[in-house]
Amino acid sequence: MKTVDYLERKYPCRGDFIHSLYNLISTPDEDFPPSIYINGHTGTGKTSIVKNFLKICKQKNKKYHAVHVNCVECYTTKILFDHILEEFVRTEVRCETFKDFVETLRQFDVGSGNGYVVALDNADRLRDMESNVLPSLLRLQEFTGLNICVLLISQIPLEKYHCKTGLTEIITLYCPQYTKLETLKILSYNYEETIKLLKLRIKDLDGGSDLEKKYVIVDQITQDFFNNYLNVFLSVFYKACRDVPELKITASKYFVTYMEPVLSGSVEMNDVAKLWRKIVTPLRSALSQVYMRFDKTQDDVISDRTDGHVENHSIRKMVQAFELPFYGKYLLIAAFLASHNSAKEDKRLFVKHHGKQRKRMQTVNAKAKVVEKMSTSLGPKSFSLDRLLAIFYAILDEKVGLTCNLLSQISTLVHLKLLGFVSGENNIMDGSARLQCTVGLEFILYIGKIVGFNVYQYLCDFS
Amino acid sequence: TRLAEGTPRRSIQLSSIVEKRVFNEDDIINTPKRTKARKSISIKSADHDGDDDYVPELSTPKKTPQKTPSKGKRSTTKSSTSDVSGTPKTPSQKLKMIRSGEIKPSLEKRGILAGSEKGKTDLQIARERLHVSVVPQSLPCREKEFDNIYTFLEGKIQDQCGGCMYVSGVPGTGKTATVTGVIRTLQEKVTDDELPPFDFLEINGMRLTEPRQAYVHIYRQLTGKTVSWEHAHSLLEKRFTTPAPRRVTTVLLVDELDILCNRRQDVVYNLLDWPTKAAARLVVITIANTMDLPERLLMGKVTSRLGLTRLTFQPYTHKQLQEIVTGRLNGSTAFKGDAVQLVARKVAAVSGDARRALDICRRATEIADAAASKPENSSKDSMQCVNMMHVQQALAEMIASAKVQAIKNCSRLEQIFLQAVAAEVTRTGVEETSFMGVYTQIETIAAFMGASTPTPGRALRICSKLGSERLLICEHSRNDIFQKILLNVSMDDIHYALKVNNTN
Repeated sequence: MKTVDYLERKYPCRGDFIHSLYNLISTPDEDFPPSIYINGHTGTGKTSIVKNFLKICKQKNKKYHAVHVNCVECYTTKILFDHILEEFVRTEVRCETFKDFVETLRQFDVGSGNGYVVALDNADRLRDMESNVLPSLLRLQEFTGLNICVLLISQIPLEKYHCKTGLTEIITLYCPQYTKLETLKILSYNYEETIKLLKLRIKDLDGGSDLEKKYVIVDQITQDFFNNYLNVFLSVFYKACRDVPELKITASKYFVTYMEPVLSGSVEMNDVAKLWRKIVTPLRSALSQVYMRFDKTQDDVISDRTDGHVENHSIRKMVQAFELPFYGKYLLIAAFLASHNSAKEDKRLFVKHHGKQRKRMQTVNAKAKVVEKMSTSLGPKSFSLDRLLAIFYAILDEKVGLTCNLLSQISTLVHLKLLGFVSGENNIMDGSARLQCTVGLEFILYIGKIVGFNVYQYLCDFS
Repeated sequence: TRLAEGTPRRSIQLSSIVEKRVFNEDDIINTPKRTKARKSISIKSADHDGDDDYVPELSTPKKTPQKTPSKGKRSTTKSSTSDVSGTPKTPSQKLKMIRSGEIKPSLEKRGILAGSEKGKTDLQIARERLHVSVVPQSLPCREKEFDNIYTFLEGKIQDQCGGCMYVSGVPGTGKTATVTGVIRTLQEKVTDDELPPFDFLEINGMRLTEPRQAYVHIYRQLTGKTVSWEHAHSLLEKRFTTPAPRRVTTVLLVDELDILCNRRQDVVYNLLDWPTKAAARLVVITIANTMDLPERLLMGKVTSRLGLTRLTFQPYTHKQLQEIVTGRLNGSTAFKGDAVQLVARKVAAVSGDARRALDICRRATEIADAAASKPENSSKDSMQCVNMMHVQQALAEMIASAKVQAIKNCSRLEQIFLQAVAAEVTRTGVEETSFMGVYTQIETIAAFMGASTPTPGRALRICSKLGSERLLICEHSRNDIFQKILLNVSMDDIHYALKVNNTN
């Protein structure tokens, strides 16, 4: 039971899972089940536990052979088979087909009592390989006559695997997501590492000045204090994200921010309420950046705290990053207008003397739109190149010639993925190609602000 | 689809399977079993020591007595005398000998001798006679077709010109048996010196991996050597286009002609173009199933070369089938007369396939055998006869569908699923249903029956199980609730199976 104890200490709150793994495939003296399917969300420790479990089993018993293969790496079945055989056979073998694979395994097995485990990560890729691979891997024990078990690890349920010819029976193990208490427990194991990280950050930030004093404060941090912080942290984050690795990274990152007032001496260490008030704003702003993983500089963190609008900030940065030419900007605005206005409204919006419009009850009703029906939330419609150029000339006050510079800017915009082809990619010149604007309203509004153009005025949803 | 694909360029090579068959594990390169091998040659096949499936051939091939190209023939005789003494040692040497036709494939012999005729019962003899592979000397009910082909071939051989004939008919109507019967009769006449001699070659489209391999097979039958198809083609071209003295007529039987048709149709064209050459003296008899194959599949120039000499084999009527079976039984009393008639009538109503009738008869003898061996009815007179009941049972086994049985033996949830699909089809009126609609019906039916509703995941598994049994036709379960489901059994079958089940 030493294996289980060790693993349970390493992976808290996964006792059931480790126990069932242990019962099924711990020793080669017993017969393995032909196949096991393990599924669960990301960050629930499937791959890591299985890898460690197999490693320990291999160390404990010489007759235990195991291999871990990631199916994403295997874009052909030959690579998959080679991976597996490399581990088991350890000599150069030529293996082209499944038949060769089975034959090699069968011939290789010398002596009795050997146990083999093949763990296949990202097993959903197996469905895209040749149609015989998945059904026959599940019956590998039957084919080879060896004590072999195929572990499939994936995120989707087994129901998504059944092919037209059916699958054999398979044992399913489920890795449920951690509850809030369990997450807290796992994160609190991170205590020592976080303290170490904190010391490093202090050294980096202000080298020399009252370093000693700060170290003393850091040494006073107890597990309880850290758990308290984690409680605060999870109260903000747990609703949005339950991915433990992600939480781990973010928690240790923001612990530095949490400790700042204490280190500077403005707040006492046991004044929890005050600390909570100080940390809650940065945490809320950090919530919008979870999963994004950009390493921010300190300036960015400060500027984030001042304006608080992270989205606006990122879009502004994106627009600045593109640095489009003047006509390019107008072309993009024209493309946006073409995508989000219906062609019927073009005459009213862009032609100077379009005659009088009669007001009817129908149009008034149509104007009273709900947010869901606005084209900005329905998504862009497609438009032709002619319409794009017509709108471009209508919204541009000066008259420019239709030069090849202008046309090449359209293709540049397509290249930058700001515009996209919907159809007719091959016949752009004959006018049957349809384009689509792929940027959002905020982006266009910002570009409009730069060139001094009011976009709202020309959007029929808003006018 | 066969038409769409072009013929890939591939030279003839013996597959690895052949090599494995020929060179077993114990036959390694540098271990010459010289003494053993020599003994095996001298005694020849008396003690067969397992490592050769190929036996060296001491005489020249029988198929090609004197008509082979002189060069090839000389090499065969010479090498066979010289190489036999030094037996093949390396696989490549052996392969070379196989390709040059110096050694012939043979099969392993059985240790125990086959049982003698004496100990057999009447039923066993009948069963052997009824075997499809036992082709009788003269086919009953095909006399007219026999005459037709006979006069055609005899005329062509005597006139010493070339020609084509197209024979068609549904499977199991005696096409190949009749043609080979005609050839046999003609060969007998040749031995009696009543007819000028002729060569007989045959190829079967189904035995070729690709149409161009036909050249290789034809050339092998002429000389016994295996060469690449390009080489074989040019050699055959040379043989058939250049006039040579003492050229005899060649009769070429092409079975399964439709397999030889690819998009370019070059092989079929060549096979039908050679008879038009004056020097060739080639008579080609082509056999296929469809009557209108030349008009449907072949190009104009190929159809015109195929000519209008055609013969269609009609399916056997029940009287003819009865005659065939009684002919096979040859006066044995193993079968009751009305039993044969029942088989003939049932088969003639479906396909008119003689093989089917013979198979059913054979199955009936097996059933009769099993019934007779039972201790309760071991009275001597009833033992040696196949009666109506046995035939009924055999027919039920071989003709009746097993779908109702399959539905009856489904689990309860599977039956509910099938019912739900049927209900959804009646509700929407369209044949194709989606899983979502079927699942709603399952909920209704399960609630009605008081069974607990399966979860969608379980229902998907049931669906894929039924799909793999072909009771349903469904998609891959990756597009779970949106997958399309078709019923592969008739709705009446489901109702029938489940109604009868409920009353029990």
